[in-house]
Amino acid sequence: MIRSIAQKEFVSIRRDRRFAGLSALVLVLLLVATLVGRASFRTLQQERQLAQTTVNDQFRNQPARHPHRVAHYGSFAFRPKSGLSLLDGGVDSFTGSAVYLEAHQQNSVNFSQAQQSGSLIRFGEMTVAFVLQLLVPLLIIFLCFGAFTQERETGTLRLLLSQGITLRQVAWGKIVGYSQAVALVVAPALALAAALLFTGEEFASNTDLVARLALFGLSYAVYFFLFVVGSVVVSATQASSRAALVTLLGLWIVGGIILPKATANLGATLYPTVTKAQLDADVHEQAQHGINGHDPHDQRAAALKAGLLKKYGVDSEDKLPVSLAGVQMAAGEEYSAKVYQQHFAALNATYERQNRLSDWAGLLNPYQAIRSLSMGLAGSDFAHYVHFQQAAEAYRYGLVQRLNGLQAGMGYGDKERRLDAHTWRELPVFSYQAPSLGWARPRLLLPVAALLLWAAGLCWLGLRLISNFTDL
Amino acid sequence: MRVFWILFAAEWRHFRTARGLVLLCGLLLATGVYGIYYGTTEIARQRQQLAALPELTRRNVDELKVKFPGPADAGDIGYYHSTFAVHHPDAWAALSLGLRDVNPSYVKLRLLGLHNQLYATDNANPLKLLSGNFDLAFVLVYLVPLLIIALGFNLLSAEREEGILPLLLAQPIGATTVVGAKLAFRLTLVLGLAGLLSLLGMLWARLPLDGRVATWLALTVLYCLFWFGVVLVITAWQRTSAVNAVALLGVWLLLVVLVPSLLNLGVAAARPVPQGLELTIRQREEIHGGWDRPKTETMNRFFALYPQWRDTATIRERFVWRWYYAFQHLGDQAVAPLAAAYAHGLQARYDLVERLNWLSPAINAQSSFNALAGSDLPTHLAFQRSATHYHDSLRAFYYPFLFRQAEFTHADYAREPRHSFTSLAEVATARRGLPTLLLSVAALFGLGLLLLRRPIAPR
Repeated sequence: MIRSIAQKEFVSIRRDRRFAGLSALVLVLLLVATLVGRASFRTLQQERQLAQTTVNDQFRNQPARHPHRVAHYGSFAFRPKSGLSLLDGGVDSFTGSAVYLEAHQQNSVNFSQAQQSGSLIRFGEMTVAFVLQLLVPLLIIFLCFGAFTQERETGTLRLLLSQGITLRQVAWGKIVGYSQAVALVVAPALALAAALLFTGEEFASNTDLVARLALFGLSYAVYFFLFVVGSVVVSATQASSRAALVTLLGLWIVGGIILPKATANLGATLYPTVTKAQLDADVHEQAQHGINGHDPHDQRAAALKAGLLKKYGVDSEDKLPVSLAGVQMAAGEEYSAKVYQQHFAALNATYERQNRLSDWAGLLNPYQAIRSLSMGLAGSDFAHYVHFQQAAEAYRYGLVQRLNGLQAGMGYGDKERRLDAHTWRELPVFSYQAPSLGWARPRLLLPVAALLLWAAGLCWLGLRLISNFTDL
Repeated sequence: MRVFWILFAAEWRHFRTARGLVLLCGLLLATGVYGIYYGTTEIARQRQQLAALPELTRRNVDELKVKFPGPADAGDIGYYHSTFAVHHPDAWAALSLGLRDVNPSYVKLRLLGLHNQLYATDNANPLKLLSGNFDLAFVLVYLVPLLIIALGFNLLSAEREEGILPLLLAQPIGATTVVGAKLAFRLTLVLGLAGLLSLLGMLWARLPLDGRVATWLALTVLYCLFWFGVVLVITAWQRTSAVNAVALLGVWLLLVVLVPSLLNLGVAAARPVPQGLELTIRQREEIHGGWDRPKTETMNRFFALYPQWRDTATIRERFVWRWYYAFQHLGDQAVAPLAAAYAHGLQARYDLVERLNWLSPAINAQSSFNALAGSDLPTHLAFQRSATHYHDSLRAFYYPFLFRQAEFTHADYAREPRHSFTSLAEVATARRGLPTLLLSVAALFGLGLLLLRRPIAPR
């Protein structure tokens, strides 16, 4: 019986001209979003790869220089786009793409896409994720709002029940039928996106990407299922089609437009952060006067010198086998990097506290759950961005300390001398490895739990609601 | 006319008893108040952060005074001393925050090359930037149309579906009067709410009551009228409530979401901007190449730009600050065309959107609000130009010390130029949005009234 109801719904939906029109629109938008996503992905990726290769070559081909000059010359880290970011750009448009890596200071990541467009970007971006997260649910609402109300308004619900089936069976039949119709619209588009993704040479045989994409598809399946069940439940409990539609659209507006913005703004109000200028000043101050204020830079430098003289059993700097300046530079970098890491960690902890509000809101609002799950899987969420920042800083620190080590090894009077050009070719260049799915997993658990809770809750409580409270 | 007022009064009594609609209006009022609260506190927070910057400069100067107790070489001071170019918000930004969170509101400057300092960004939570600002402009541009749709989607269809329409039309009343009275009541309600929120926002943010008040209110009224025009057309189309709701939300989705995001893609493709990446890389190469080039070559190129320093002492030392700052500046000079192309590219994108904003009244309203508040891209570009001039004046302040080899004393810190830039409202841009809106309102009402002349189906 469930199957024949499902069959009936599936057939009548396919015959509905409005459904055909709306799904064609969604399909076209998905297609446009995929193609545009791929084109912009390629442009950005090429630009950044070219930039990275350029600076890496420039670094390797330096003439004979003093290592500290090389440390000031430094390098750049350009953030490569993650493979799936062509489906879900996440926060990518609002994060910078280039950071200058040099001695003594940690620079900001600059040149975000958002800074290169006017306030138009604030209306949202046409990505596959946007269509899937907001437009497909709208299509589902339009499909399902009349599930029960229409049967009731035309008097067919009584006839159906007189066949000896329960309301619950009717509901399941409708859910199955509608789900098939949604799959008919979305599956081809997603398959096409996957095909486009894997025909690009960038993604050849990458199991991590396959796993991410599979989970991506699976989570959207759960998300759409949620909307189908939810719409059917609302339709069963409302008096008229009009009331059902208005309720569902109201929920869509609150969940898709108002809540995400409200929680993000509330988070920023509740947990204020410091400016970069303030943070840099604090880092500088602590590096100068010691983390606890009892350990000033001058004293540390003097102690280091005394320790070196004692270690090598000499009485003046010029008799040391190492360059005092190089050793002190290394110690200073170590100290200030340590201070910076503390402040950077505190800043990110504050951001995470701000974002946690949105994460927990996912329990109330499936849109916010799928949004953070989707960008987490696509490698375009806040955590992946921080991972890049940390990788860039780790490289910067390692490079500068190697150069300080080279300087120390030059011995006394290093300032008058240079190191050979081949030295720079032996130093590692920056190449970023995006983290694996396993790394991202802990952050994805909450949104996954939220989606599953919603699905289970709707199937169990929602359908109980239908069988207990539906008027014929 | 009497009939009109009877119907109007009936709508009011009807509205009072419809708990859902009263709740919806209350909700809009509450979100509007939150938007005003958020906008004003956000601007207050930015002001507070900007006010803390001179203290950072003072701490930096104190540190330098300890480091260089006597008269110092100005080159050392220029290297270790940092100061700020600050972009103060206009008070109106509290109602329309625009891009003030995406673009930094200050730039930290040293005497070094400008272009690797000018594009530095401030700390920001990208997820917050992605979610956008919950300010009054958001409530007016996004949410008020939804309220108008909720109030108007069943204007006639509900009467028809409840069987009242035949009774109503049996009276000697024209359909235009019925629809007119119903629309007029809802218009009064929505404009009352939007006006109340706008005035509350202006008082709360303590705005100077200048000509912009009228522009803001005119934009708000016309934007609301546009959506009432859409409701009128859909009403005159005479479908069921469900179809009306879908159609109206479809129009909202098209104009507020789809057109802007597609336009964003189109504009980015039509006006490609030379990436900043190339600029930064080139500048570093130029500046660091300065160490390896013969000093006379660097100085001669510099003197060609600043002939007034040509007669200063020839450089024989291995290192001297005036040579260092000369090649820093030559690095900026080398990338000046790239930097100009970058800024022009961004401006061209903005201008193209301005030209195409008739495609969606939401884009028109939002960018006009931002222009009024001076919180959009052109203001940021103006700030960057102002910061560039400030950097020029810093160099003009330090060059005499460097080239005349004058000592930099503690008293000289106070003589260093300071910078302050306050957003300028682009009232002309904002007012340019008005005729376009007016035209679309007139077109919609014309179409609606034309459609209404067809007979109304009572069932």
